[in-house]
Amino acid sequence: MRLLVVEDDKDLNRQIVRALEQSGYAVDRAFDGEEGCHLGETEPYDAVVLDIGLPKKDGVTILEEWRAAGRDMPVLILTARDRWSDKVQGFDAGADDYVSKPFHMEEVLARIRALLRRATGHATNEIVCGAVRLDIKAGRVVVDGAPVKLTSHEYRLLAYLMHHGGRVVSRSEIIEHLYDQDFDRDSNTVEVFVGRLRKKLGVDLIQTVRGLGYMAAPAKDAGDKR
Amino acid sequence: MRLPIDSIRSIAARLFLTAAAMSLVVLLIASVLLTAYYRSEAEEVFERRLDVYLRAIVADVSESGQEGRTGPGQLGDPQFELPGSGWYWQITRLDDKSHEIKASRSLFAGTLPKLSDLGVAAEIGGFRRGYAPGPDGRRLRIVERVIDVGDVGIYLVQVAGSGEEMEEQIARFRFALIVAFAALAIALAIGAAFQVRFGLRPLRQLQRELASIRRGEQERIMGGYPSEVAPLAEELNLLISANRDILERARTQVGNLAHALKTPLSVIVNEADAAPGQLAQKVQEQAQIMRDQISFYLDRARAAARGGALGAATPVAPSIEALLRAFSKIYGDKGVIFSGGADPQLRFLGERQDLEEMIGNLLDNAGKWAKTHVTIDVSIEAASRPALRVVIDDDGPGLAPHLRMTATQRGRRLDETKPGSGLGLSIVVDLAAAYGGSLQLNDSPTGGLRAELRLPGF
Repeated sequence: MRLLVVEDDKDLNRQIVRALEQSGYAVDRAFDGEEGCHLGETEPYDAVVLDIGLPKKDGVTILEEWRAAGRDMPVLILTARDRWSDKVQGFDAGADDYVSKPFHMEEVLARIRALLRRATGHATNEIVCGAVRLDIKAGRVVVDGAPVKLTSHEYRLLAYLMHHGGRVVSRSEIIEHLYDQDFDRDSNTVEVFVGRLRKKLGVDLIQTVRGLGYMAAPAKDAGDKR
Repeated sequence: MRLPIDSIRSIAARLFLTAAAMSLVVLLIASVLLTAYYRSEAEEVFERRLDVYLRAIVADVSESGQEGRTGPGQLGDPQFELPGSGWYWQITRLDDKSHEIKASRSLFAGTLPKLSDLGVAAEIGGFRRGYAPGPDGRRLRIVERVIDVGDVGIYLVQVAGSGEEMEEQIARFRFALIVAFAALAIALAIGAAFQVRFGLRPLRQLQRELASIRRGEQERIMGGYPSEVAPLAEELNLLISANRDILERARTQVGNLAHALKTPLSVIVNEADAAPGQLAQKVQEQAQIMRDQISFYLDRARAAARGGALGAATPVAPSIEALLRAFSKIYGDKGVIFSGGADPQLRFLGERQDLEEMIGNLLDNAGKWAKTHVTIDVSIEAASRPALRVVIDDDGPGLAPHLRMTATQRGRRLDETKPGSGLGLSIVVDLAAAYGGSLQLNDSPTGGLRAELRLPGF
């Protein structure tokens, strides 16, 4: 899952990005309105954390421009202006949720998880696919009741595939959603990670759809154990 | 100098009284002058008449003297024949011891007093004129002249007339004048009253416009005013817009302050979260206090800015629709359905932000507790002053009556596990009170809590 954080306060930006990265997301950052607006328009983010009071271009304008351009990723707005009239303005511009400053990081993380779940049609923080259970709140993977330790990149790949379980995900889509913009993208690494994931999970979950990409689905011959 | 009229508070009364006083003075002076003029005219006519009679008698005496008789014939006026009529003539021979006297029949047995004896000086031509009491005690105007008819003798010819007739005439004139002037005075008073009413109409219109601005029915003074009042109206408009500007600036500054303080506070809180320990705990604690203080004083600042607000009328329906859209997103996950709305005609007498703050907090509270549904309905309550009645129902667990008071107190939160600052309902109470409204919590027919908000509006 690849996220964008647009926040002009350097410390707060750093804190949010760090917290999101620790939760297993690939995160891009922007420190002013123009930069943030441009990134949101050109990069395929799964969710955005957007401050309302930004230099150069304010959050509400950015949000309106994104929505007008057909960008429909979930957006969580951060606002110091916590009156309902300010919040309503944000929602009318196209926000999906808000967090008032000052906030605890846990709140932002919980809202982001909820937005991502909602966007991919999952009702709870636990995504189950065959024998594999993914707890997106704790960032844990359990196969047949036994926890599996994954690196952050492996976790991101699995989480993205499982969020979009049952749908074929192309290699380029994986690259776009797994790495932040500064990462040296090499399409071969996807195959390497898929290989490692399959080995670590030990069950046949990730299907290769020739010429198209990958899909998270319980293997047909293995059957659903649940 | 302070005139007695300065103590009169009403301009209308001042204008009316000065106009009335002026008319009274003018009418009095006019009546005095007119009466004096009329009297002098009447006297002159009277005098001329006496002169004419005197000349006629003098001519008669001279002629008759030459013809060997003394005494005039008829003067042609029956007044001289009627005894005691007030019109007399008398001829007195002066050069003879006998002092033979001839007189008009009207004089009967009496005689006229001689002006020469009374010390009245003679005019050019030997005339003497003056007033003297007559034989019956009436005051008479007498004209006399001494004539020398050669051999026939020297005579004193006197003609007298009573001024009564003239006085009656003057009195009649004065009466007519008083009646006419009284009618004129009444007409002038009515005219002045009309003038004052008409002249002060722009001021009353201005007052009506200001009142409707205060009630929020209009934003600025619109009417066309005469050149004396127009600058005042213009100044008032500038004052109103300056007032709005100040309010807007205060709001902006408050918002800026909020932003400026809350971001660093977020950083501190998160930094403390990331590094557990005694110091971090202290920081958390103090940060929470700062957070509460910021919201408390922000509310106060907003309330102060609100006190200066003049005349805002906010349509209710758009705000409620926007809030319902927002809440459907916020509580979409939880599966709570928000429904209802308001008549597009309804207006709240106050700022939009405040209306949205009150209804937003109530909807938020309802949404936190509701199982499936939150409904909002706005109606008009026709009392002596019409008021808006906003009713928000939820189907949650409701609230026991003894807890309802507590829930609306400042900073109280009944259930600490539900997210929120805990200021929600008390902010609504404070805001409603600032507008002269109220918040009531009751049982809802849908099973949960009913919040009833009463606000000024129409």
